[in-house]
Amino acid sequence: MGKTLFEKIWDSHIVVEKQNSPSLIYIDRHLVHEVTSPQAFDGLRMNNRKVRRPDLTIATMDHNVPTTDRSLPILDQTSSVQIQTLEKNCKDFGIKLFGINSPNQGIVHVIGPQLGITLPGSTIVCGDSHTSTHGAFGALALGIGTSDVEHVLASQTMWLEKPKPFEIRVEGKRKNPHAVTAKDIVLSIIKNIGTGGGTGTIIEYRGEGISDLSMEQRMTICNMSIEAGARAGLIAPDEKTFDYLRDREYTPKNYESLVDSWKENLKSDSDATFEKQFTLHIDDIAPQVSWGTNPGMTCDVTESIPTPDEFSKGDVNQKKGAEKALDYMDLESGTAIEDIKIDRVFIGSCTNARLEDLIEASKVIKGQKISPHVKAMVVPGSQMVKKQAEEMGLDKIFINANFEWREAGCSMCLGMNPDILSPGERCASTSNRNFEGRQGTGGRTHLVSPVMAAAAAINGHFVDVRKMDLS
Amino acid sequence: MKGNVIKYDRDNIDTDVIIPGQYLKVHDYAELATHAMEGLDPDFHSKVKEGDFILSGKNFGSGSSREHAPIALSHSGIKAVLALSFARIFYRNSVDGAFLLPIEIGQDAYDGISDGDELDIDISTNEIQNITKNQTYKMKPFSEIIGKIIAAGGLFKYKPDQD
Repeated sequence: MGKTLFEKIWDSHIVVEKQNSPSLIYIDRHLVHEVTSPQAFDGLRMNNRKVRRPDLTIATMDHNVPTTDRSLPILDQTSSVQIQTLEKNCKDFGIKLFGINSPNQGIVHVIGPQLGITLPGSTIVCGDSHTSTHGAFGALALGIGTSDVEHVLASQTMWLEKPKPFEIRVEGKRKNPHAVTAKDIVLSIIKNIGTGGGTGTIIEYRGEGISDLSMEQRMTICNMSIEAGARAGLIAPDEKTFDYLRDREYTPKNYESLVDSWKENLKSDSDATFEKQFTLHIDDIAPQVSWGTNPGMTCDVTESIPTPDEFSKGDVNQKKGAEKALDYMDLESGTAIEDIKIDRVFIGSCTNARLEDLIEASKVIKGQKISPHVKAMVVPGSQMVKKQAEEMGLDKIFINANFEWREAGCSMCLGMNPDILSPGERCASTSNRNFEGRQGTGGRTHLVSPVMAAAAAINGHFVDVRKMDLS
Repeated sequence: MKGNVIKYDRDNIDTDVIIPGQYLKVHDYAELATHAMEGLDPDFHSKVKEGDFILSGKNFGSGSSREHAPIALSHSGIKAVLALSFARIFYRNSVDGAFLLPIEIGQDAYDGISDGDELDIDISTNEIQNITKNQTYKMKPFSEIIGKIIAAGGLFKYKPDQD
């Protein structure tokens, strides 16, 4: 019987396998950041353990770092300590660190691919749930907690019960690919299968709607696999994948021979079986806007907010969840999405802060000013993205429109640094989670694509970007 | 294992409400515990008692991989979370560090147990006894390996069989 891409990667990384028991899996790349690693390094010290493969471990700081002027000291003492702790840990254990002033600093899931550290067919872990992003390159990329971070640091392996393969086919062609983006595809998927729809699975995204996407767009898709509850998401590599990774700073020297073997091996066999299957047709999908407090609570920009009954389709807890969400979001059923006014706009995060995202958003705002009552910021995903964008003059377009142009980091996606919403503020955000308080206590998040966020900034409320000329 | 239930009658309790992002810089577990569930229930810290259980719906612990979530609950005194289903990273983190027991329950237990009920949970028989209401429910048994890791007291204390 044929194997899925996930099963092929899995089988080639088994160190120990026993019946009815988790397998010990070898890890090819371990990405480390400042928030989920300190206790893991403490654990190593307590037990006199070394990092087994410092050469396969890469660190940066992203969650906590200020996105303002980095020549100034960090005001938040606890953030400063966490950053210094990572510096010390990397020095003590011999790990390569892209520190706060490195030109390679950035969100860990943006820099991995940009530097050629993320490779097809590899296993990648990081103490961050959005590690699934790297699956866009045909890697098996898993988010882990701090105990597992310690386990991987010590052994370069982890125990894992084999997840089930889940095929999601994205079929058809978008009529306006500038207005209907990868973000809208993945939000549509989550809206349909639910936030628990992928629990215990590894999603493989397939079909014309996926192969048409650029690598950066594929990363947006795989990034949000975790929001559907999946352990990871991946996409079989193709010429776009190989081209993207060619000649990066850390691309392996024997790259072309690797490409030959990847072409041969890294695809699901035609007779492979998936435990689950879902198909999304994208010919007619609209830009998506989340209205509630999880990514499944999402509708088309042209729709109105559903009633809890309409949303829940008979599920009592879903109905209660929708009621609570509307209360938290201070929204009423029946309100047209386009009538929702916003206070803040955040273009950033590991979901949507790559160069293409910024290029697309800049087209929307070029020559315009943001609405006077809106505060808006762009936080590039990495310092390299920032530099490339500045070379193209994108910073000027954003600044002239009254956006703030910041340094790279996770920023307002998760509210760990000073970039937060005030209680009651409503934000159009290109990030991945609209949970209560995610962007700051009492803050209200609407998940959208970069072009939708940019258009909301200009108009002060959500608008259907399909009506704009974005070509 | 006896304790009282704090029930959150909803699905999708995420790790951002279990421990909001701004506290991920806190390394002192006792202090972390004072902010547990703050995003959803600001009274949690004042009402939780050592040995209590949390009861909730589907997809408990969805979202971030922060191990701070089970740690904050554990150091608040929570010994087990009973839920219709769990997000997998939260489940794994809970077991890895032996912070708390993630117990999967059925709809009968979810509907039957009210906020404040006293339960007696026996993981050797997979039974949950509701002392307050004099009812008994079955819990989903832990898989063999999870049971062994829990019994050992966490991932780093567990030694795989040499068979």
